[in-house]
Order: sequence, then structure tokens, then C-alpha cells
Amino acid sequence: MKYKGISISQGVAIGKVFLYRPYTFKPVEKKLGLGEYPEALQRYETARRNARAELEGICQKLKDQEKAAIFNAHIDILYDETIDEEIRDCITTGGYREDWAIYCVFEKYIHLLEKGKDQLIRERVTDLQDVKNRLLRCHAGVPDRDLGRLEHPVVIVTHDLMPSDTANLDQSKVLGLVTEIAGPTSHSAIIARSYGIPLLCVEGATELLEHGDFVIVDALAGELVVHPEKNTIDLYERKRMDWVAQREDLERYRWVRPVCTDGTGIKVELNLGSATPGELEGANYTDGAGLFRTEFLYMGRSQPPSEDEQYELYKKVLLQFGERPVTLRTLDIGGDKTVECLKLPKEQNPFLGKRALRLCFEEPKMFKTQLRAALRASAHGNLRIMFPMVASIDDIRKAKAFLRETQEELIAEQIPFATGLKIGIMIEIPAIAMMADCVVQEVDFASIGTNDLTQYSLAVDRMNPLVSGYYQSYHPALFRMIGIVAREFQKANKPLCVCGELAGDPLAAAVLIGLGIRELSMGISSVARIKKLICSLSREDAEKLARGVQELSTAEEVENYLKTALKKITD
Amino acid sequence: MYQKTTVIKNRTGLHARPASEFIACAKKFKSNILIGRTNEEEKVNAKSIVLLLSLGIGQGESVAICAEGEDEVEAVDTLVALIEAGFNE
Repeated sequence: MKYKGISISQGVAIGKVFLYRPYTFKPVEKKLGLGEYPEALQRYETARRNARAELEGICQKLKDQEKAAIFNAHIDILYDETIDEEIRDCITTGGYREDWAIYCVFEKYIHLLEKGKDQLIRERVTDLQDVKNRLLRCHAGVPDRDLGRLEHPVVIVTHDLMPSDTANLDQSKVLGLVTEIAGPTSHSAIIARSYGIPLLCVEGATELLEHGDFVIVDALAGELVVHPEKNTIDLYERKRMDWVAQREDLERYRWVRPVCTDGTGIKVELNLGSATPGELEGANYTDGAGLFRTEFLYMGRSQPPSEDEQYELYKKVLLQFGERPVTLRTLDIGGDKTVECLKLPKEQNPFLGKRALRLCFEEPKMFKTQLRAALRASAHGNLRIMFPMVASIDDIRKAKAFLRETQEELIAEQIPFATGLKIGIMIEIPAIAMMADCVVQEVDFASIGTNDLTQYSLAVDRMNPLVSGYYQSYHPALFRMIGIVAREFQKANKPLCVCGELAGDPLAAAVLIGLGIRELSMGISSVARIKKLICSLSREDAEKLARGVQELSTAEEVENYLKTALKKITD
Repeated sequence: MYQKTTVIKNRTGLHARPASEFIACAKKFKSNILIGRTNEEEKVNAKSIVLLLSLGIGQGESVAICAEGEDEVEAVDTLVALIEAGFNE
């Protein structure tokens, strides 16, 4: 049997299905028979004990204190005096069945907290939901199908993966993924691509497949084959081997020096999102870290990271890259994300709101803590500091003033830091792109963030699926704008990098080189294919492509033109 | 019965980790302990995390803690001290 699907992360996987379907309780009011309540109370007690045992098991396994604190809080909720009292009352006096009682009492408090005026309290609702679900699942005797305890390599089939599902995921046990929904920027997609796991999106997959079914996930052709015959398996096994070989061939390009056929050198740098060992391994074959994001340090915790914690991490990254530059971007976060330790207000338009630099200006203590940590770390390598969300020259001057103040404090305290530190900005707001001639007077370097530049130029919320069709990465206006910035930086002979999605996309990267960009920064998974592109292209070819694009009027024309023209050059 | 009032010092107020610490501390005592805003009638069981969260007490708010039982004085004094230490944030 074959089903059609959409390939989100390429590859072929062959193996048994692990059906991951989080337990859902169907709320139906149920009454107990006369005199049945002692047994009902006992069943409630047993479920609660089992849930507690699960939570304690999770806490013991977690090394991360912050994460363990979350599950400890779940135990508090599970054993809450008031909730317990009310559930018992609902069973004994109300005569309701224990599962209905659990459901009603938890729902009551979930609604109560949802109404709270404090954002942080409203967020605790998810903890109550989690505890309620765990308790009801334990009551139903359904085991916790934990992705962290996979014994054999499997194909995971699920509706969609949540960050909590993948927190303990052992990637070496995942052959492939099949989900029912998955946009290209969903959590499942990011996980699959970063680990090189094939991901196919198939409608109704959790209904079509059973736990233990033997399947082939062909995320090249976009097909799912269930219960294949022996010769079909052999056929796909060869396809899988070919794919692996092809990928390995590409992987060899990781190690080459990225130089165009005419000798023009391009710096290929790394975007770091969490500084995990997997990411830092890329330091071995890249020319630096063009974008070191620091947001992850602030996520999923109740307190902002301390100066020392940040310093240690920044130092670790700098040491990893040695002489090569590491561009640290200061906190770039806003109301589109829930960040417990920052108390961000809900905003109508978080992407146009108090985010990134704007937030830092209002939280001077937090901003300076980060700058202090970065400056101290600068003594250990080649650090560049970059400010995000800059809309005006005022923003640049204000941020530089903060940095200067922090430097003076460190001097007064006789704490060492690197002299001649390079300071730059992200170019992601059209207004600042148009001011490139003035910007270049104020900074040592800049980096173009094409994702946000696209979002802000085209007035498209990139998180809103209703307008995803309007998010056109190849919109000719973007290439024109990048061209303007590139010209000014070339004139002033100052480095300009591109660090958004476009830098890791071979079609666009060719144009960027043609526009005069000599630094491209990207995720680790794009490095090999961009190096391969650079090695097959001359500067003249790239410039011709860039000129060609300047004459086109729609995104579709640009894409078609680049596909055809680039194929001619690289074949 | 023994009662005291104090003002919340720590930045995040009485939720997340501070709330967990608060009820863990309250549970060490035998007395019945109630907590609420000084200027409001509603007082809730200080050993219940859910009720404490439902109050949503933030930084700078004044709270009253009262206890009744054999260790009431020690209970109230300890909890007030915990709040005044700002939960070591």
C-alpha cells in the first residue's frame, strides 16, 4: 500500500513504526453506583502514586537542574492539598467516578489560572494541563510512550512533535519521521533537518498506521509504503544507499576551501543557535561564527543567565574558533516568544514591538550583564559584537554608548578585555538598509538578516500561515536592497556578511556573491552544499547572475531564471 | 492565631520557583496557614500551590500571612523571612 506525502526533510528510511500518540481523555460525566466510592478513591490513589513515580523517574534522569525544577513543580501540583481535597469530595459526596472528578477539579483550576491578569501565572496553565493528562493517562493504565526510551531504531509516526517530546529524544534511534502536519519551519522540521532524519508529512498518518507496521519512508519522492514486498524493500534499500552515498559525496565539500574558479575567496561561516557540541564541531571546517545567537540562554528558565554563566559559554565558543571571528549577537527576542525570565508583555504586533535592542535599552541591567560577559570573554579569542533590530542611526549610537559605559566600568574594575573590538549591526529593517552610506560610518561591519529583512520589506508576518504565500524569499526588491548595502560597504572597504536563510540557499548565494558579498553565514547543514557551489562558480558568473536578477520583476521569474542559469554554469 | 504582613521583594513575585519554595516551607509546619493580599478579604491555604498561584501576587504587593496551631509563630516568622530575603533571587 502506498500513500502520498510531502517531503520536509529529504532521505529514505526503512523500518518499524513507533506510533507516538499522546493520550487524550474523553470527558464524559460518569456517576458511581451506590457504595462504590471506597474503590473509586483507591483507584484515584493508585493513579496518583503511579504518576508520582513517573515524575520522580524523570527528575532523576534529568541532569539539567532548571528542567528538573519543572517536574518537581508537577509533583507539587499532583499532591496539592486543595486539589486532592476537592477530588475526594467530588467522589465521596458528589458520587462521581474518579476520572471525571479529576478532570472537573483540574479544569476548574485551569480556568481560574487562565483568567489571571499575570502572564507568568497564565503560563502555569500548561503545567496543570500536563499533570492532569499524566494523572488521567495513569488512571487509564496507558503507559508513557516516552521518546527518550526507544530501544530499537524506529520510524516515529505522530501528529506533530512538540519541543517537550524531543527534549529526551535519542536521535540515533530515529530512522525516520512521519507527521500529520509539518510546515517547513515547524519544530519537527527543524529537528529532522538538523539531525539529517527523513521527514514525510502524510495526512491522517496516525490512523493509517499501527504500532509495529513495517514501512518505507521515501522522503525523496514523497511516498509512504506500508507492508512492502521483499523485492520492493530491496529496491528501496538501494535507493537509500544511493542517497547516503550522494550525501557523503556532498559532505566531502565540507572540508574544501571555498574559493571560486577565478580565485575569489568567500568566507563560509557558521550560524550558532545553541552552541551544542554538534554545532561547535562545525568550527573545524568554517571560517568563523557569522552569527552566534544568544537567545537560547534566556529560554525555558525562571531567571536570566548570570554574567559568569554567559562568560563561560562565550569563552568556550571563542576558544573553539581560535583566531577566527565569532560574531555575538546581543539578545534578539520579543513578545512572539514566551520567555519566563523576562516577563515580556503580550503585544498586538510583537515583530514590530519592544524586542531585541529596544527591549535591552529598557532593561539596562540585563543588557549590561550580557555586554560585560561578552567583553570579558573577548580576551580569549576574536570576538565581534553585533546589535539586532536596528532601525536608525540613533539606535547604533545608543547601543555603542552602552558598550562604552560597560567598557569603562570594566577598566575601573581592572578587568581585562580585548582592545579594538569590532562592533556591527544586523541589517534587517529596510530603513537601515537604505541608510547604508551613513551606517558604514558608524560601524566596523554589518550582517544582513534576510529572514527579517524579507518579513519587514514585504510586510509579511513570517509566523502567520495565512500569509505564508506572500513571504517571497526571491522577491527582486530584496536583491536590490542587498545590492545597495553591498555597494556602500565595498566602497568603505568594510566587511559585510549575509546570515539569513538566503546565505545557505545555493540559488540565492550565487547572486549574493555576484552582488559583492564575501561572507556567508549559515546553519551547519548548508555548509557543504554552499562550498560546492562556490567551487563551481567564477566571480564573473556570479556577477552576471546578479545583473540578470536586477532586470526581473517577480519572485517567480527570479527563481526560474536562477535555476536555469545556474544549472548551465555548474553542469 | 498569629499574623504578620510583609511586601514581596523578588522580581518574579509569588510564582514559579518562589511559589514552590514558599509552599514547601509552609508544609513543614503543622499549623493551618493562610495567605492573601493585605487589602483583600480573600485568604487561601498557603500549602496549596494552585491556590497560591491563583492569587497571582507580584513584586511590590503587600501580603498578610496568618497561622493557627501549635507552631503558628514560628511558621509565620519563617515564611515572612523567606519573602523578605527575596527568595535569594
